[in-house]
Order: sequence, then C-alpha cells, then structure tokens
Amino acid sequence: MEIKIKDLKKTFGEKVAVDVPELTIHSGELLGLVGNNGAGKSTLFRLILDLIKADCGSVRMAGKFKDSDIDVNVAETEDWKDWTGAFVDEGFLIDYLTPDEYFQFIARLTDTSDEQLQDFLARYRHFMAGELEGQKKLIRTLSAGNKQKVGIMAAMLLRPQVLILDEPFNFLDPSSQNAIKHLLQKYNEETGSTILVSSHNLQHTVDISTRIVLLEDGRIIHDINNKDRQAQTFLEDYFEINE
Amino acid sequence: MTSYKLYKLIRHNACLQEERHPMLDKNRFMKLLMGFMWLYYAAILLFMGVGMAVGMKHSYNGVAAFHVFDGGLPCLLLVDFWCRFILQETPAQRAQPYALLPIRRSFLMHTYLIRSGLAWGNLYWWFLLVPFGLISIAVPLGWGAFIGWLFGWWLLCIANGFFYLFCRALILKHLAWVLLPVAIHGALLAIMFVPDKNMLDMPCTLLMYDFLQWKFLPFLCTGILIALLYLANFRLQTGMVHAEIGKKEDVKIKDTTRLNFLNRYGKLGEYLKLEVKQRMRNKTVRMSFLVGIGIMIMFSAIMYFSDVYDNSYMRSFICLYDYIILGMTTLVTIMCYEGNYIDGLMSRRESILQLLHAKYYFNVLLLFIPPVLMLPLMVIGKMSVWMNAGYFFFTAGVLYPLLFQMAAYNDNTLPMNAKITNKQGNTSQQILSMLVLFIPVGLERVVTLMLGEPWGYVLLALLGLAGIATHRYWIRNVYKRFMARRHKNMEGFRASRNS
Repeated sequence: MEIKIKDLKKTFGEKVAVDVPELTIHSGELLGLVGNNGAGKSTLFRLILDLIKADCGSVRMAGKFKDSDIDVNVAETEDWKDWTGAFVDEGFLIDYLTPDEYFQFIARLTDTSDEQLQDFLARYRHFMAGELEGQKKLIRTLSAGNKQKVGIMAAMLLRPQVLILDEPFNFLDPSSQNAIKHLLQKYNEETGSTILVSSHNLQHTVDISTRIVLLEDGRIIHDINNKDRQAQTFLEDYFEINE
Repeated sequence: MTSYKLYKLIRHNACLQEERHPMLDKNRFMKLLMGFMWLYYAAILLFMGVGMAVGMKHSYNGVAAFHVFDGGLPCLLLVDFWCRFILQETPAQRAQPYALLPIRRSFLMHTYLIRSGLAWGNLYWWFLLVPFGLISIAVPLGWGAFIGWLFGWWLLCIANGFFYLFCRALILKHLAWVLLPVAIHGALLAIMFVPDKNMLDMPCTLLMYDFLQWKFLPFLCTGILIALLYLANFRLQTGMVHAEIGKKEDVKIKDTTRLNFLNRYGKLGEYLKLEVKQRMRNKTVRMSFLVGIGIMIMFSAIMYFSDVYDNSYMRSFICLYDYIILGMTTLVTIMCYEGNYIDGLMSRRESILQLLHAKYYFNVLLLFIPPVLMLPLMVIGKMSVWMNAGYFFFTAGVLYPLLFQMAAYNDNTLPMNAKITNKQGNTSQQILSMLVLFIPVGLERVVTLMLGEPWGYVLLALLGLAGIATHRYWIRNVYKRFMARRHKNMEGFRASRNS
C-alpha cells in the first residue's frame, strides 16, 4: 500500500507542526522517521491516521486490498482502517481490559478467528516474555514497557498492509528492543507491508529502515535511502553523536 | 520562598485553574450562562429575604420575624450542605497536583482548608440574610445586633462547610459514608417534623438571639466546633492525599468474566462486553452506577413505607426518576470515559457506531431494573402499570435519544478510576439532566389534565415506541454528527485527558 502526502500542513498557533509539500511512501517500504523533540513526527503520524485535522493538504493511501484497486483520502473515508494498524500512545489502549481480553477484542473487530489469534500469540510469545499472556492483570497495572508491547501487538494483529508505530522502542528492555526490530523486519519481508516507525534511537532506526526521513520543525530536511545503511554516518553527523 | 509567597502562589494557581478550566476556557457561552445563573439565584434569595422579612412581620403575632426565621436554621444549613456537593471540591482534590512537589503537605492542607473556610461561597446566603436582617433586625434593634446575627450565621456556614468537607472526603473513600450525613440530617428533620412541636425551634432561636446580643459563649462554642471540624478535616484529607499517591491497585483482578454469551452478537457483543467491564472495573463508573441503584431503592422504600410522596405529581416524578437515573448519570457524559482511549477507537472502522449501538442496548436493558424495584409499589397500588409502561418506553425511545445527542458534543475526558477527581460534568450536561427530569412529567401532567389518567402515559409510551422503532436511524445520525466533529472532539478529549 502506498501513502501519498501532498501539501500537508498543520500549525498550532504560530508554530508549524508539519509542513510537507510532497512525500510518497512506497508500498513495502520500512520508513524510519527521525528528528529532535518537537520535529513533528507524532503529529505527522496523527495526520496520516486522521486523528487530527490538517490545515490543508491530503493523505492518500493507494494500492491493492482484497484484489481491489484502492485510492482513498484518509480524511474522507474509513476504508483505510481495514488495512492499517497503529500504535501512537496509551490513548490507543483500553486499560481496564487484560491483555488477553484486549487482543480478543481487537481480533473480533478485525474478523480474526480464534485460531488465527492463537497462531499470532504463539508467534509473539518470545516478545511477550511470559508477562502478558494468561495474566489476570489489567493493562493499566502493567509496566510502561508491557503496555508498549500490548499496543504494538494489537496494531499488528490484523496483519495490516500499513503499520504505523510511534517510538516503538521506548520503555522496552534491550531484549525486547531487539525482538521488535526483528519482528518488524520479518513482518515487512513476509507481507510486503508499508511500515512507518518513528524513533529517537538512531541505531535501531538505521538497522531496520529501508528509507529514513529526517524531520525538523515540521519540514522534511533529508530523505535518505538506507538500503545499505548509508544513512548511519549522515545521521550521526547531523545529530553530532560522535563529537 | 516564604510561606506567604507560597500561599499567594497557590492562590494564584487556584484562580488560574478556575479561569482556564477546559470547559470554560473555550466556551464563552458557558461562562456567561454560569454568571447568569449566579446572579439569578442571588436575585431569588434577595427577593426571598425581603419577602420573608415583610411577610413574617405581619403573620406571627407577637413573635419577631427573626425569631421565626432562626427557628428554621437547621433547614437552611441542610440545603447549604447538599448544595455544596455540586459546587465545592475537597482540599484533597485541590492539593493533589502539588503532592509530589517540595511543599510541606501540612502547609498545603492548611492553605486549602483556610481558603475553604474563608471562601466567598460561605457568604452566598448573605443575599438572603442581609435584606432579611436589615429589615427585621437592623431597623428595630440596631446595627450591632444585625452584625452579630449575620456574623453568627457566617460562622455556622463555615462549620457546615467543614462538616461537608469531612463527609465528602469520607464518601470519596467509600460510598457507604453517605449514610453519615443522611442519618444526621434525617434525625434533625425527624426531631423538627415528627413531634407536634418543632423541638429544635427554641434552641435555634436562642442560639441566634445570643449571637445577636454578642454573647461570648455561643461564639466560643461555634469557634470550638469549627476548630474541631478543621482538625478532623486536616487529618482525614492529608491521609487521603497520601493514600492516593501511594495507591497500588490490586494487580491481580478477581473477575475475568468472559461474557461468552455475548459472542453471538459479533462486534456489537464485544462493545457490550466493554460496557459491562467498564462498570465493573472502574471505581468512578461503578460508583455512579451504584449511586443510581441506591437512589432507586431509597425512593421506592420511602414511597412504600410512607405517604410523603403520595400525590400524583410526586409519584409521576419519582417513577420517571427511577427510570432515567442510571441513563442520566452515564449518558449525559456519554463518550467522556471513552475519551481515555478515543484514539484506539477511532482507528477502527465504524467503532463509534457500534459503540453507540452497544450503549443504547445496554441502557435499555438497565431499564428492566426499575420495574422490579417498583413492583411492590405497583402491587399496593401506589404506582400504576400504565405509569411504568409509559416511562419505560418514553425513557428508551425519547429521553435516551435526547441524551445520546451529547455524544456528538461531549469532548471532555473523565477519569474512570480515580477516587479523587475534580473533574465533573459541565454546565450544558447539567442543564440537559434537568431537562430530561422535568419535561416528561410536565408533558404527562398536561395530557392527563386534558384527557384523564392513563392517556398521559399512553402518549409517553407511544412517543417512546416511535423512538425505539427508529433507533438505528437516530443512532446513525448521532454517529454522522460525531464524525463530522471528530477532530474537534478528539482534540478536547486529548487536552482534558492529561489536564
């Protein structure tokens, strides 16, 4: 699924949060979004997910879904929700459910059968590290890292063609950070899904992304092909990591 | 920073909190409306004060108007106490945001308690007392007597305010504590109204007369009472802030009810499960549900065992109240709890539409509780089956659609699981609550007066059936309007979620 952004602008008062004249995220790309605090990464994701209203411009998703050609503006229809999974923050979690109940809730909403859900959970058992499945704990009582895991897994549950994760490495222990890196790469290779990941962790972002977009003050200042990890040196220089 | 500077800073922040309340900050109309209501009630009290002073002067032979008025002292304090539930927060609620800052908690609590005691709200009754006292005390007895009497009333209001804060804090700990003020006030009312002669009349009159004469002892006793209530509040409220900060929810939950029987309803069933679990697992939601059930039982019991409400208007009103109370407490703030996870809901196709359907069916199911509780009243003939049928269908088909309209406009997130919260419904929600309580009874009364006993209820039932039959249509209409306003609402939910 391709995501086409055109003349997209969002301001909060005087501050320009996002100003993207044109950006196409091609089908199957794993795009890493980097930038300092306030660069507009989360706002861009929220605009793509139609969670906030753009001042102007559009976000379109185009491609094939269930053998049909599709080209939709996310602000005008809810069709895109059938092939899009996302986790931005805790506002996505129903915290008075247990993780099992939440996964089941999402599975039923996305027409995922019980068998498919069990398969899915089995594949992610290593990532869950025995702390989510079968626990009689409400999501609100989980640690920040485990909440993050629940959100990421719920986003991936419907096997979306577009997956959007804001800061997925936050709060996770090193093992889980590595696990999610591998899961995302594997998912991208297996399904050819378009994945958007924002992160402050340059190493992880460079490790998994096929393309990296550097955002500052809401504007794209560099768009780097990262198929051979060539973005690493550039980003290290830009963020003055080695000085 | 000196204590005085800190006090000024906290006071300044409290003013900012009121000025910048998310609901008022962006709604100029609400500000104007609240100002208007404040003036409206002040004007009513002024007129009452003048009216009572003049009226009592001529009505009670030989007894001064202020003696008659002072005999009703407990009634005024009772009204003052229960009105505070709508308007006044506890110091624990106010102090909580500062609890983790390097400020002595005892200082914080003293600051808020002193501010509560000296709040302008304790002077609101002066709109009634000043005109009354000027006419009935200042003119015949002089300014000194008037000021003493007014000062006495003010001290009693402060003591009443501290008693309210104490009860409110206990109620926040556990709902059962509501029985404390109910028992005390019930006892006072019983002493006043059950014997042939009001047994509190004379003591109250004497107390206020002593104030008027500036006698030292009543001032001392009231001062001691205020001090005791102040200390009790200080200990209780400080403990509550501690408890809320260090609270640890039971990590393991006891109920993992699967509610599998709802699976047959597909996606709708999943949202119905959410409705059930939202009430079972969140303190705030559960408490409002239990309060509703408690009120229903209380009214049914009062009607069954006494003849206090034995007139057709009150029977009709209580029957309606029993049907609407559960829906009113949750639907008037519809979507406000969902504001906590609105982003997740909005990232699923038509999830809000399914949610609205689930909410409707769930609330219709709740309507089967009132007839069960009112069955004894129907058996002894205090309520008719027609009345119950009328309000059952009218609630499901007319009042619920009216309350569901708020889904398109509510944009303030309410916390689901906090015991201490200063977030209440906004004024428009309170106005809608009033409308759904009084419009149906008015309509029924008019039709009953015109056509006779069952026809008012028949009309209500018919209107309700029309609403039920068209529920898919009007729910979709609410959904469409919600979606049209989705960005604005989501912005509000996010802003109030963390405020």
